[in-house]
Amino acid sequence: MNQPLLQVRNLRTYLRTGGEPVKAVEDISFDIAQGETFCLVGESGSGKSISALSVIRLLPEDIASHPSGEILFNGRDLLALADAEIRAVRGAQIAMIFQEPMTSLNPVLSIGEQIIEALQLHYPQMAMDEAEQRAVTALIQVQIPNPGERFRDYPHQLSGGQRQRVMIAMALACQPQLLIADEPTTALDVTVQAEILRLMRQLQDDTGMSMLFITHDFGVVSQMAHSVGVMQAGRLVESGLSPDVLGHPQHEYTRRLLASLPENLPKPSKNTFPSGQNLVWAETNKAQHHQGGLHSPTASSAVGVAANSLLPQSSLPADAVALEVSKTEPTASSDDVLLQIRDLKVWFPVKKGLLRRTVDYVKAVDEVSLDIPRGEIVALVGESGCGKTTLGRAVLQLEPVTAGSIAIDGQQVTGLSQRELRPLRRKMQIAFQDPQSSLNPRLLVETTLTEPMQVHGIGASRDERIELAAQLLDDMQLGREALWRYPHEFSGGQRQRIGLARALALNPEFIVCDEITSALDVSVQAEILQLLLDIRQRRDLTLLFITHNIGVVEYLSDRTVVMYKGKIVEQGMSAQVCGSPQHPYTQRLLAAVPRLVLK
Amino acid sequence: MTDAAVSSRQSFAARIWRRTLDGVGVKLGLAWVGLLVFCAVFAPFIANSMPLLISRNGEISAPVLNYLAIEDVWILAGFFIAVAVSRLQLSGGSKFMLFLAGTGVAALIAHVTVQPPALVIYDDFRSAEYTQADWRIMPPIPYAPGDYLRDLGSKGLEAPFASDSHLHWMGTEENGADVFSRMIHACRISLSIGFIATGIALAIGIVVGGLMGYFSGVVDMLGMRLVEIFEDIPTLFLLLTFVAFFGRSLYMMMVIIGVTGWSGYARYVRSEFLKLRKQDYVQAAIASGLPLQSILFRHMLPNGVAPLLVAVSFGVAGAILSEATLSFLGLGVVDAPSWGAMLDQAVKSSTFNWWMAVFPGGAIFMTVFAYNLIGEAFRDAIDPKLSRRGGSES
Amino acid sequence: MLTYLLRRLLLMIPTLLGITIVVFSVMAASPGGISAQTLVGGMDMKPQEKQALLDYYNKRYGLDQPPPMQYLRWLNNVSPIGFVTDEQGQRGAFSFSKGMDLGTSFQYGRPVGDILAERIPITLLLNLVTIPLTYLLAIMIGMKSATQRGSSFDVGASLSMLALWSIPTMLAGVLLLGFFANVQHFQWFPTAGISSREALDMPFLPHWDDNGFVRGFLLDRIWHLILPVICLSYGSFAALAKLTRTSILENLHADYARTARAKGLAEDEVLWKHVFRNSLLPLITVSAGLLPSLLAGSLIVENIFSINGMGQLAVEAVKGRDRELVLSITWVSGFLTLIGYLIADFCYTLADPRVSYD
Repeated sequence: MNQPLLQVRNLRTYLRTGGEPVKAVEDISFDIAQGETFCLVGESGSGKSISALSVIRLLPEDIASHPSGEILFNGRDLLALADAEIRAVRGAQIAMIFQEPMTSLNPVLSIGEQIIEALQLHYPQMAMDEAEQRAVTALIQVQIPNPGERFRDYPHQLSGGQRQRVMIAMALACQPQLLIADEPTTALDVTVQAEILRLMRQLQDDTGMSMLFITHDFGVVSQMAHSVGVMQAGRLVESGLSPDVLGHPQHEYTRRLLASLPENLPKPSKNTFPSGQNLVWAETNKAQHHQGGLHSPTASSAVGVAANSLLPQSSLPADAVALEVSKTEPTASSDDVLLQIRDLKVWFPVKKGLLRRTVDYVKAVDEVSLDIPRGEIVALVGESGCGKTTLGRAVLQLEPVTAGSIAIDGQQVTGLSQRELRPLRRKMQIAFQDPQSSLNPRLLVETTLTEPMQVHGIGASRDERIELAAQLLDDMQLGREALWRYPHEFSGGQRQRIGLARALALNPEFIVCDEITSALDVSVQAEILQLLLDIRQRRDLTLLFITHNIGVVEYLSDRTVVMYKGKIVEQGMSAQVCGSPQHPYTQRLLAAVPRLVLK
Repeated sequence: MTDAAVSSRQSFAARIWRRTLDGVGVKLGLAWVGLLVFCAVFAPFIANSMPLLISRNGEISAPVLNYLAIEDVWILAGFFIAVAVSRLQLSGGSKFMLFLAGTGVAALIAHVTVQPPALVIYDDFRSAEYTQADWRIMPPIPYAPGDYLRDLGSKGLEAPFASDSHLHWMGTEENGADVFSRMIHACRISLSIGFIATGIALAIGIVVGGLMGYFSGVVDMLGMRLVEIFEDIPTLFLLLTFVAFFGRSLYMMMVIIGVTGWSGYARYVRSEFLKLRKQDYVQAAIASGLPLQSILFRHMLPNGVAPLLVAVSFGVAGAILSEATLSFLGLGVVDAPSWGAMLDQAVKSSTFNWWMAVFPGGAIFMTVFAYNLIGEAFRDAIDPKLSRRGGSES
Repeated sequence: MLTYLLRRLLLMIPTLLGITIVVFSVMAASPGGISAQTLVGGMDMKPQEKQALLDYYNKRYGLDQPPPMQYLRWLNNVSPIGFVTDEQGQRGAFSFSKGMDLGTSFQYGRPVGDILAERIPITLLLNLVTIPLTYLLAIMIGMKSATQRGSSFDVGASLSMLALWSIPTMLAGVLLLGFFANVQHFQWFPTAGISSREALDMPFLPHWDDNGFVRGFLLDRIWHLILPVICLSYGSFAALAKLTRTSILENLHADYARTARAKGLAEDEVLWKHVFRNSLLPLITVSAGLLPSLLAGSLIVENIFSINGMGQLAVEAVKGRDRELVLSITWVSGFLTLIGYLIADFCYTLADPRVSYD
């Protein structure tokens, strides 16, 4: 227990991508002790994955180079090893698991074969029977049910969580001393993630191995890590023991990241803020947040640190402390319902057999009834496949409705022809998740924004429409010049703002936000969320916010609706649903969310 | 992710075009095609038995102009219209419409005004009337494609530089006509078949494929059956059948090659449309209540065009090959010069007339190769994996 | 699986019908159409004899009837289930197993079935020899290109493949024949046919005799096939090589290859144990389209090398406006094409465990 298992010293990794070499990792150093978990955390582009790949030299040699640094594993410098030697280390002493379990497993080989391969590679004298035995044992260890049968299955026959377990089994087959995990749970549902994380902690206890865990989720860090390192733009800006870094962050970037977490964002009230005022964004401490007030003095001045990615601040009046407590009750009463959904069914037929007869249905949305009061933000939560996206799209008639009715402002929406539907479309709009595909790459931003206006007769002349579009962009905190650019010239967060601007172009009353922040980094997400609250207020909007992120739900929404397998299992005011959930599924869902808990 | 702007200020089309041109191969390909276009347009001025300009007793005249056929004039007009229209600052679609309109008008005018003499006797141009002049400028290749050189005692197939009295860079073919001249004039047939046949196939393919992709359901099922039928028909065989039963005419061949070749384009368009329908910005357009033709032509089609360009390039090469094959099998156009027909003469009689294989065959090869190079360059340019390297987001 | 096969076979029928209808329409719509007139027209006979022949043709083949009727008659004759027709062309009873009567060729005067039975095996021989050869060479070159990406071999190979693909079949054939089978240059190969005349008497295997080395039937066949096979194969070989290279490159950079490396596998083990099988999948998909293009290529190759296969037959049938022959060739090649697709799909299910049929 004296010498650390892994010592990274001044590691540099440069990538050659044709033009200038990209300095992906710039001079990082950290240690991992025996039996300890070290988390590398950061936003996209920070270099954390590249660092992990560098440790066992998995980056292609024609692209990556390590101009300087050492990686000492049990005293040996891995960067100096010959090819055959590093291969002996990989898989046997240091193993790695990756983010996407589906593509990380060979689709044409059975999972048993893939596990055995690792064993036979590092123990060439092992007999086949013994290897098979060990493989089945590994599957048992990762808690795969029926391991004897599953042995011959192919990756596509397993669920996402099971595939990740197989990956772990494969990695642990040779009992490595260090496990590198590159965002292993990011692609999994929350409940599955909780199980996998629990499994990994247990395995660590059982075998005493160390872990290098890469993630962007601070909640996961809090649950898994003994020590943590924060990366930004290739550099390690802060590192130390997990409670220290998370509880008392020293570096401004760490502070900023922690403050961007939805659970740490300040909630404005409709009543206190005059319209047009920019939002305050104060860094706060989670513990004090729980005590029901914002911690004001020393913290708020540190805000100015953040550069252009933050909204400018204004100082917070002292009695805004009352904000947190008084805010929660929305003013809408139950008889001012904007959107009424009754017994909605969206079923997709499954056709099999010689004549392609319909044998079954995929019940994406199964008899859902919901009222969305005017002026509220309703969060629609659930894991993948629960039907939340289908429901959101069905409301806008983008998915065919099998049965049931949808009415906005008393007017029926279902069963109308395209022509009859058109005037109603002004009232409801949608914003999407993927910044890459939400804007037409061929059109200027100006066209994207003004075309709907033109079709619906908003704005008497082209100049007037351009002016309206410019104002929309101003509201989104983007400059007017953005009008004359193409989508590829913007970053992901900016594209989401343009998408929102497009949704607002027709001045709708209701917007469906389909996971609009799921593909964004935490800091960018924070801005978008605050922007949403701002415009909701100013334009008196009603939002249906679809998400799988409970933290966002708690921050943003007035009401929460939980979906599971096409049905609503629980709904109510957010504080109640998140505070004291009734339905067992909701309880399980909330319990599975990795919280930032400070020991 | 920082909120900094990424990459430069260029429209989508401009970026793709710039990326396509980034390579030696495609430049060579385009250069060759350009050469072909030049030859096709200016053929009467490049290879002809009559002088370009001749001055007799102080009078300057241009015999070539008197003998220009309607097609010659029309092609020349079309070329200049295309050059003029491309300089205008209009969108691609409008430029194309303008070009079509312009050539249509030119065709009408040419039909009415141009009346070349019905019979041309090439031997006259080598008679005293034309040779005894103050000066004259002859085209670079002083033989017309239909000039059988009877007066010079031509003996049919001759290798290049074989006879002393008249110089043939590429030899002569079985009727005695100069091969080089015929090859240059044959550019027209090849190019026009390539473009027109592919154009027809593309038009049919886009319509059928688009309808299938957008409407799905019954339309899709019927459409797919139609596509399968046309795919499974042995194309060459159908072509043969058409030509054998309907007789040989250039226009007929263009239409037939077009009508038999659309199935590939339909499949492409259909799969692109299916993908595009699911794209968020198309969904947003529908949610905004935009009219159908805007969704189809402004949002879907421009974004689905890119893979089509690749297919078109290979399609043009294929059409040229089809025509050459037909000619080779003896079913091509009769008197107009064609590369395939000349290639057929390479193995006539027991001797191997290598110049008939190398030159026309080489021309076919170079053309097909050029289009394939261009197609490959397009394909590499629109490959999304390559485009990710362009930006710096990780 | 069985239902899938059944479904595919049933779906073939409308497609085959469609193909034959299209070809028939082309023939019927052409100037002159399909009438006894065109068949009899050029012949040098006395008017009464011509008339008699005309009547015979009309009765036997119903050539005086409107095109749709003619088509239906033909369909009836060809399908194994239908009305029995006798020599005079009269309709008899309905039967479920009357057998397929493909008709009689106008040109040759022999039953179409016999002619096809002679010619098809030759074309099939040519194609079936070509296919494995093409694949083998393509995989070898594609693999070398991919693993040595960017090397001079790779760049040279890529360019050559594109160039090869661009050479028109007839040019290649003419050049090959002109240079390698000609008295003027190298006469290494025979000029025509797939066997020498003496070959039929030769024993199968090569051996030594009193008079020296006797080629034997097998070797003789091979010797004759070399040039045509080269001519037929180079185009698809070039396309497949390119595809192989792309596929292998993609798979070398795939996530599962990275996992394999993380387990400690050496690069060539990653290639052979993991990447290779996955890379073959697109090749199988493509093989579906290989047979039709080879059949088309056969048309030209057989023409150049004077091989009496189906391709040559097709050209002659069309030139001779031989209705029965043309229709039969159409649906036979259509059928072979569809079978080719089916086999390719089947092979794909075997290779890729993710795909299953229900």
